[in-house]
Amino acid sequence: MQIGRRQFMAGAASMAFLGSVSRAGAQSTTLSAPWMGWPEEQVTPLMEAFEKATGIKVSAERLPIAELFKTLEVRLQARNELPDVYLVDGPLTASYAARGHLLDLDEMLSGDKDRFVPTTLVQGTYDEKLYAMPLGTSSQLLFYNKKLFAEAGLPEPSSDPEKRMTWEELLPIAQKLTKPDISQFGFAFENTNPYQLLPIPQSWGAEVLGPDGLTATGYVDSDETVAAMSWYQDLFQKHKVGPVGTFQTGVTQEMFGSGKLAMVIGGTWNLVGFEKFEDLDFGVAPHPYFAAGKPVTSTGSWHVGINPRTAHMEESKAFVKWLSTRDAMDLWFNLRKYPPALKEIWEERATTTFVDPAWEIVRYELANTATPRPATPGYREYEDFLKTAMQDIQTGADVKESLSRAAQNIDREMRKYR
Amino acid sequence: MISSRWTPYLFLAPALAGLLIFRLIPIVVAAGGSLTGVSLMGDMRFVGLENFEYLMTDPEFWSSLNITLLFNVIINPLQLAVAFGLALLVFRPLRGVWLYRTLLVLPMAVSTGISAVLFGLFLDGNLGPLNGFLEWIGIGAQPFHRSADQALYTLIGIATWKGAGYWMLFLLAGLYSIPSTVHEAAAIDGASAWQRFRHVTLPLMRKPMAFVLVADTAINFLFFAPVYILTSGGPSGSTSVLMFQAYRAAFTFSDIGRSLAVSTILLAIILVIVVLEFRLLRSPEERA
Repeated sequence: MQIGRRQFMAGAASMAFLGSVSRAGAQSTTLSAPWMGWPEEQVTPLMEAFEKATGIKVSAERLPIAELFKTLEVRLQARNELPDVYLVDGPLTASYAARGHLLDLDEMLSGDKDRFVPTTLVQGTYDEKLYAMPLGTSSQLLFYNKKLFAEAGLPEPSSDPEKRMTWEELLPIAQKLTKPDISQFGFAFENTNPYQLLPIPQSWGAEVLGPDGLTATGYVDSDETVAAMSWYQDLFQKHKVGPVGTFQTGVTQEMFGSGKLAMVIGGTWNLVGFEKFEDLDFGVAPHPYFAAGKPVTSTGSWHVGINPRTAHMEESKAFVKWLSTRDAMDLWFNLRKYPPALKEIWEERATTTFVDPAWEIVRYELANTATPRPATPGYREYEDFLKTAMQDIQTGADVKESLSRAAQNIDREMRKYR
Repeated sequence: MISSRWTPYLFLAPALAGLLIFRLIPIVVAAGGSLTGVSLMGDMRFVGLENFEYLMTDPEFWSSLNITLLFNVIINPLQLAVAFGLALLVFRPLRGVWLYRTLLVLPMAVSTGISAVLFGLFLDGNLGPLNGFLEWIGIGAQPFHRSADQALYTLIGIATWKGAGYWMLFLLAGLYSIPSTVHEAAAIDGASAWQRFRHVTLPLMRKPMAFVLVADTAINFLFFAPVYILTSGGPSGSTSVLMFQAYRAAFTFSDIGRSLAVSTILLAIILVIVVLEFRLLRSPEERA
């Protein structure tokens, strides 16, 4: 049913009227904040705590990841006062900052920079200034279903990073855990985003973008990348240990939670996310690597930035400043379990939370194997084409052809940054 | 008293104003915008034909143009044929025919976005019921929108499922408008059922069919939502129609000028094809 033009105009007029009334007459400001589409109970408590502390409301608009990026692109390009604050994916800091969509936070956070784990500040920094404050970092773990391992008579993988599995060792295990007759799969990555999958070519020894940050040809389609991604394709097409066409985080999480997927590589957010599956008994092990290569894990996370054109500059600054406090970051850690950005949280929880084997692994990865996504102002374009290629590879497209095409397209789009 | 000469124009004015504001002005703005580029800092400047030159050298654009044309070459005649077939079926005064008509028109009431999501679940390779059924009857599971070979045809199927019932309504109205006396006269002259269909029904259905074909073409060239929701132009670019390219240029690559250039080219193609279709379906008298 379509809304008639007249109803639409009437609706629009009354909305505009209500909007102006609330702007003029409101006691407290409401900040507009495009946010990630995380479960509501992981978002609202943070906003409520801020409102309690300052009286400023934050309207967090929860959007799925791809929609978040597109929504931000549309709104920021309009170059008006909305949104006030927004979530910034670490590698996109350069893209937004280079186009004037982020306020320089250096002055405001000058006294706080020492409180952050130095590596977390790197991706929020552009042109030697901090434009997006890190809310944490990230690391990836191999989650496995203990019950399915026991059923198959398999020993559980070691949680010791020194004894981490190779991909070559993982495959036969995944094969034993794959049972097509009951739609049970052995292994999958949480999603098909470059964030998740770049460690495959990187572990093989590939460089995934040229040193100038603008050249993809010869890197995205190098022999190493092609070989590594062919291995990835074989998991799905030849060995059939992974569910083909599951590109989204939510689907793989659901499959793992319901026992249809025995192993999944995913982020620390799953440590709290998997709690909702009552029958699930899971363990964690370090991210596997290629025997001929080196261990590599994904890292980098969400940052928060301010639109320099906001009509609520003081309130927006107050929000970011409040998020940098120990209490806010501690609350945020409890909600979604991203490895903390603040040193004090690591220290406070050193003898409690972080003695858990999962966090032992995370600590090790962050110190030794964590490799951030490539630094380039064209990360949006890079990610978009590469994600498409990775999905095509999973569903059976020619690996070399998909990656060459992605490389050429990325190079074409990168021209504008040269 | 207002002169009667102006009366029709006054009555038409609101509709014409709507046409101007919501259709014609945006077209002019889009055509103008296709000649501009936006700098990284958001400054707009005139770039002449640069956006078009870029597209001419972009293999993605050419592949997308091919896909868009292939999509339309198949879907428009297909939808017209299916809609006409359905209209003929439910034209007969059978018992309970209203039920069939309702069922056929029902997909129209489902929004495009929701039908795309539903088909995504229905056709899913791991959990979808259709593949369970195909395996059960021995055909075996199909990848549908997850394979480069089948994706475009899957989308054509979904669009036809949704569109055929709608276009059927127009053709059904056309069938009703054919006076029964013409058929009776033909029958008395000894024309068989097939001859009556071929020489009476078909020629008299030209007008409604021309309308359906033209309107359907214009809609299908702008086909977008199921591509965005189900395939994102993939796998391997096999469903990357021009509308999707236009969307991507604007909202992923922040290149509004290029996006408008794609839209402008699309508009030109639609105009040419619609003119051709009108010519093709003119009655012999008009042609003379």
